[in-house]
Amino acid sequence: MMRYAAARRIKELNKKHIRLCLAAVYTLLFYAAVASPPAFASGSRINCDAHSGACTQTVGDVTVTLEITPRPVTALQDLVFHVTVAGPEAAKPAYIDLGMPAMKMGPNRVVLEPTGSGKYEGRGVIVKCASGRRTWFAIVTVPGFGEAEFVFDVVY
Amino acid sequence: MRSSRSLASGKPNLSSMWSIDPLYPVFFATGFTIGFGHCIGMCGPIVVSLSLNLKGRSVVLPHLLYNTGRVVTYTVLGGIMGATGSFTLVAAHIEGIQKGALIFAGLLIILMGLVMSGWLSFSKIFGDHYNPDGIVSKGFNRISKIQSTAAYFPIGLLLGLLPCGPVYTALLAAAGAGMRAEGTFEAIVSGMTLMLLFGVGTVPALFLVAKLVNMGWFKKREIIYRLGALLMVAVGVYFVVKGFLY
Repeated sequence: MMRYAAARRIKELNKKHIRLCLAAVYTLLFYAAVASPPAFASGSRINCDAHSGACTQTVGDVTVTLEITPRPVTALQDLVFHVTVAGPEAAKPAYIDLGMPAMKMGPNRVVLEPTGSGKYEGRGVIVKCASGRRTWFAIVTVPGFGEAEFVFDVVY
Repeated sequence: MRSSRSLASGKPNLSSMWSIDPLYPVFFATGFTIGFGHCIGMCGPIVVSLSLNLKGRSVVLPHLLYNTGRVVTYTVLGGIMGATGSFTLVAAHIEGIQKGALIFAGLLIILMGLVMSGWLSFSKIFGDHYNPDGIVSKGFNRISKIQSTAAYFPIGLLLGLLPCGPVYTALLAAAGAGMRAEGTFEAIVSGMTLMLLFGVGTVPALFLVAKLVNMGWFKKREIIYRLGALLMVAVGVYFVVKGFLY
């Protein structure tokens, strides 16, 4: 009888541990999805030749222009991201999330500082993927207006 | 390089040092999720090779040591990134080492595959000059028979240097954390903590792969080992080629 009760208790404890583990896993997944900025864009196609100069896109009422220097845009180098937002003024500064369309690379955010007249500037690095894939994206978020996704190739 | 340091102040600012940087849980969660995607794809073949090499023995301790080694390397790199506060400065210096690590990993996997299958013997390599007590033979023997549990720790240390996009991103964040820190000590601790948490986050996925590959329960293991050996040689060649192209 006592043996049966002990076995039942162990079973219950195991169930409790499994539930706790599952809760921890769900919490982590939820945290990764909510807290880390978007770092994955599926089905993205190259829409910007970052090596040639600036690229422009319209998001709602604003036009977003992205320029990356120095050119050619090379991985593992200090880069300067210049963003110009033409149109109504955004309440908060724009920011950029860098990532790869083909693979999740982890959160890589470029904080932009306003330099006046809808212009922003920030420093960042595009890392290198060992797979050899060279297509990256830069999602420029203009708070209150939306996001512009620039997809481009980099030099490794 | 880091712009503001309070070395002159002497004491590190302990109150801000022990406060939790919001990036810590983010990178722990990132390591966890990336582990089940990116890491299984990129480091999976290595883990599979290391597991098959155990030939049905328990994977727990060897893979615990392998992952510990990997995380230790990440943590040390995080500390260096934090101290310098510059990702590109360190990345430029370690790129050659990473290339070497990629080639070495490839050669190691090929060797393990050949030895596991029984296709490689020392007499075949060294011919009539084979001397089992020679330094080269002893060293070769030690490397090729990586079935001793303790060997998994240095392997982890070395393979932690493999070039990897998400690791780069985490190192970038470690350098950023170091740059924001108020003193050098705090910068090193910030970088190390971030990379430690990221590394620990990646462990469950790779551990799961190691556990799933373990063929202790399978009766006709020899077939699996032969197929595994072929896979290991192919993966090894791929790593070596990637290393030279990187």
